[in-house]
Amino acid sequence: MGENDHAAVRAILAGDTDAYAALVKRHSATLFRVAYRITGNQADADDVVQEAFLRGYRKLDGFESRSNFGTWIYRIAVRCALDRIDGRKADERSRVSEETDLEQQAVQVADQAAGPERLLLSAEIAAMQEMALRSLSPTERTAFVLRHLEDRSTEEIAAVLGIAPNAAKQAVFRAVQKLRLRLATLRVRT
Amino acid sequence: MNHLSEEELVDHYYGEDAVGSRAQTERHLGTCPQCARAWRDLESDLKEMKTGGDSQAFAFLESPAGGASYGRRVWASLASSLEPYPARKRVGLHLSLWQGMVYVATCAVLVTCAFYAGRQWEHRQPPVVAHVVPHPAAKQPVVIVVLGDHLDRSERLLVELKHTDADNEQMAVPLRDEARTLLAANRVCRQNAKQSDDPALTKALDRLDHLLAELASQQDSLDPATIERLQKEMNQGNLLFEVRVLRTRIPDRQASAGRSQGGTI
Repeated sequence: MGENDHAAVRAILAGDTDAYAALVKRHSATLFRVAYRITGNQADADDVVQEAFLRGYRKLDGFESRSNFGTWIYRIAVRCALDRIDGRKADERSRVSEETDLEQQAVQVADQAAGPERLLLSAEIAAMQEMALRSLSPTERTAFVLRHLEDRSTEEIAAVLGIAPNAAKQAVFRAVQKLRLRLATLRVRT
Repeated sequence: MNHLSEEELVDHYYGEDAVGSRAQTERHLGTCPQCARAWRDLESDLKEMKTGGDSQAFAFLESPAGGASYGRRVWASLASSLEPYPARKRVGLHLSLWQGMVYVATCAVLVTCAFYAGRQWEHRQPPVVAHVVPHPAAKQPVVIVVLGDHLDRSERLLVELKHTDADNEQMAVPLRDEARTLLAANRVCRQNAKQSDDPALTKALDRLDHLLAELASQQDSLDPATIERLQKEMNQGNLLFEVRVLRTRIPDRQASAGRSQGGTI
């Protein structure tokens, strides 16, 4: 697959735009998955995937043939996703802090657990988890997603985020700590 | 060992323990109930945060993308906004083996032809002869310099002749050889002196020529009578004194010639 990617890159740089289709089709799903996990919604993830492929195409003449195209475009997508949630964060900060009050969560969950609608309860739980994730800083969320859900190494996370490996490790730890704290009530009550 | 911190437990979960401490952590978890309970809680929480499997936690992060059709949709939305890269002309890299060989052979033939054409052109050119016309004024200093040297050598010869022992025939032989050498130079100087209209110099060189000719015409040895005759002839005309006077005039002649040529001598 790597050799096919390099052949496609050479063809694109030789003027064959259609050769990019193979790369897009091959790596779209992976990019969407990580974009969705970082941004948390499908519309943003779609935008991130398109933007990543567009950025990748424009920077393709700087792509070193020694690198793996999949890893390279993956990093671009993570950067795009990070930029997106970074910009979105300011708008949501007040709402998140209001909605993630631990006492309120506990009451809400307790109320829903007592009811007969399990589906509604699941939706509530998912919403809480999502809010817990959103309460993280963009860097913490991205580091956690890459480490915990994407199984990326600390060094790789550091490279994507442009920070030192130790800082990446700290970001993952802070994210785990915050999530455990926020979801502790949920775990006890359910 | 102290109790493990939450950070150490997280590192342990992700397999990123400090170097060499993984086994130590494992041993501690086996012996410390407090840390073992904290580890179980952490492990349980982190496993809950994984998508997929039996857990419903974080299920909302399950990607809803629809396989290969999704890639096609992305490409459809991108295709129209991509401008093609200008084609790179890497002639050297795209040549096949035989094309490369033809290219190299053509270069070699061209270089060889250029070399032989250059050689032929060089041979057909007429030899360039430098026609150097000496400046008229430049002749005189050269002759003067030669004249000065000639007069020096002549003066030495005359001094030696004057002091030569007439009875020692072998002593006169080097004088004869030197006279033969000086004779040709003396004639050139005399001819030049005539052309430059210098009667004193011409006269002295005439007499010197006669003496040198006499001396040069001798056979292997000089007999004492010939030596005495030549010494007398030299002393009568006071030739040695005359040559010395001419010799002293040479710097004046050089200076005047130098002025006439702008001091280039």
